[in-house]
Amino acid sequence: MHLAKRFLPILLVTLAAITAAFGQTPPPQTFQATIYFDYTAFVTSDGYLTSNALTNKFHFRRAYFTYENKINDYLKFRFRYDADNTANITSVDFAKQTTKKDDKLRPFVKHIYLEWSNDFLQSKVNVGMIETLAFKLAEDRWGYRSVAKTLLDGYKDITGVEVDATSADLGLTWKGTLFRQLRFGAGVHNGAHYSHAETDKFKKFSGYLQLVPAAGLNIIGYLDYEKQTDDRKAMTTKVDVLFDMVKNLNVSFEWFSYDSDNMLNSNGTQYKPSGWSVFGTYKIKPDKLAVFARYDRYEPNDTKADDEIGLIIAGLDWTPMHGSWKIQPNVWIYDYNDARKGDVIFNMTLFLNF
Amino acid sequence: MNERIIKWLVLAGFVLAIAFTPILLSAQTKMLQVKGSDTMVNLAQILAEEFMTANPKMPIAVLGGGSGTGITGLINGTCDVANSSRDWKAKELDLAFEKGVKPRLFAVAIDGLSIIVNEKNPLAKLTMEQVGAIYRGEVKNWKGVGGKEMKISLYGRQSNSGTYTFLMEHVMGNKPYSTDMKEMNGNAQIIEGVLADEGAIGYVGVGYVVDKATGKALKGLKILDINKTANGTAYSPLDKQAVDSGNYPISRPLWMATNGTPKAVAAAFLQYAIGPEGQKVVEREGFYTVGGKLQEQNAKNLK
Repeated sequence: MHLAKRFLPILLVTLAAITAAFGQTPPPQTFQATIYFDYTAFVTSDGYLTSNALTNKFHFRRAYFTYENKINDYLKFRFRYDADNTANITSVDFAKQTTKKDDKLRPFVKHIYLEWSNDFLQSKVNVGMIETLAFKLAEDRWGYRSVAKTLLDGYKDITGVEVDATSADLGLTWKGTLFRQLRFGAGVHNGAHYSHAETDKFKKFSGYLQLVPAAGLNIIGYLDYEKQTDDRKAMTTKVDVLFDMVKNLNVSFEWFSYDSDNMLNSNGTQYKPSGWSVFGTYKIKPDKLAVFARYDRYEPNDTKADDEIGLIIAGLDWTPMHGSWKIQPNVWIYDYNDARKGDVIFNMTLFLNF
Repeated sequence: MNERIIKWLVLAGFVLAIAFTPILLSAQTKMLQVKGSDTMVNLAQILAEEFMTANPKMPIAVLGGGSGTGITGLINGTCDVANSSRDWKAKELDLAFEKGVKPRLFAVAIDGLSIIVNEKNPLAKLTMEQVGAIYRGEVKNWKGVGGKEMKISLYGRQSNSGTYTFLMEHVMGNKPYSTDMKEMNGNAQIIEGVLADEGAIGYVGVGYVVDKATGKALKGLKILDINKTANGTAYSPLDKQAVDSGNYPISRPLWMATNGTPKAVAAAFLQYAIGPEGQKVVEREGFYTVGGKLQEQNAKNLK
């Protein structure tokens, strides 16, 4: 965040200079709020997640506030606040050596970037605190971030294992089209995510190739690499297959493996977290009603036999009146390979977008 | 009945709702969704109304929003027919390919894109190059193009408009618009702006500026003749022959696009729009009918 604060004035000065160069008329600007609000009820009461006193709750999972400024046909600026309610430290008592926490929704900066679109390879360059390349394409196809993150994005939430995957980071990306059948993306960023300052000299390099051999069939190979120390490295390999060949139906597959020299068992052997996900959405009545379903398989440690987690997510997406709000009832069914009992959780999700 | 059983019953009900909703909804009558170009919205609305009069069991809903909005809607599956007053861009064709959408384009009318000024402006014609220079902001006074000493006020559309893109690609050499241009929501707003502002220049589809009774420009407006080059002859968009022959340099087809070969209501509606009855409506609304190679392409795309 420290770097983000240093970066912001530079971006704003650049933006002001560009605006002045192109004239005095204020460019088109938009403000947008996107909110995910849930009523959650535990259907089981003896599972790993559901065997506690809490049986149901209302909660906001996310609130985004986005400002976009279209400077001209080629330049765009975005500033996005994100707010979540993961326990925040609100005060520190040094005398008693204690801290206070609460769960108020607090905003933090998610995106501050300049986007330059140009005709060369129909490419886009993003500079600043940007969206990473790791799971944007899968997330766009899944389309229900309001219900659940995609496999790699949400891996830590489900398994507790850090696979160094973030949706935003400080750096730059370049995406473009070589041919209609072949697109690419390349990026370099801190690798410290949007919630931490960079602390080392090493940068994360990422890239993907997107092959579209037939209309509606996408095969994407993704790789990122970062040195952790002079003699240790980490690498993510990911493959997505997106199938859009039947009208209103999307079926997609996502697989990844994380290979880090820092991931060691207590006996010193290395382990690799991995996972795969298959998901589908079907628009019964476009803009009105859709159904979605997904199955994820998580393997947090490939040297252990009993730690796999299976997760089924299914639900409805109903737009009763206007696209600015949707009702998305959904159910999550967990299955654990070890002795833990499964969980069934029902969410009534309200998606708001103004 | 204990609480756990009730919870499981609620869950079972939810799963059944997911399973049976598609079956219940498939029984409903589907309305054809037509979306896109604001230049075409009135024409498409009238075509749809007349089509529905003859075919009351084939409902059609028409929305504007701009060519870009219609094309995005077709790619995302939120409309059945996309209206556009420009060609599809390469990046839109790429995105359609990526998402398994196979656009089929039908030319339903020809538009002579009209450059309009206030009737008090003494200027009668401009070259293509002059129109481009004005909209790029390189010429800011009418004196610079042979007019009187008066500041030029630019009126245009927003970037999701096909007309905005068409003018940029065909007249402005793909260079950006002046940021002094007032970006209006639709053709009617441009006309209002030009009527109220003596120094104004605007661009709109010919169907919006023709008085249908007289066949001339609406009161208070002047439609400029346009030269391809400085030495050539200037032609008016009201001259059908000049538009058909290509002598009027900024004419364009107005397109309706479907995902793949149109079927059922979409096929019937398009057949009507490009057929003799639909083309009569096109002419009545001030646009020009489609002929020759475009009609051959239309016929091929219907099969």
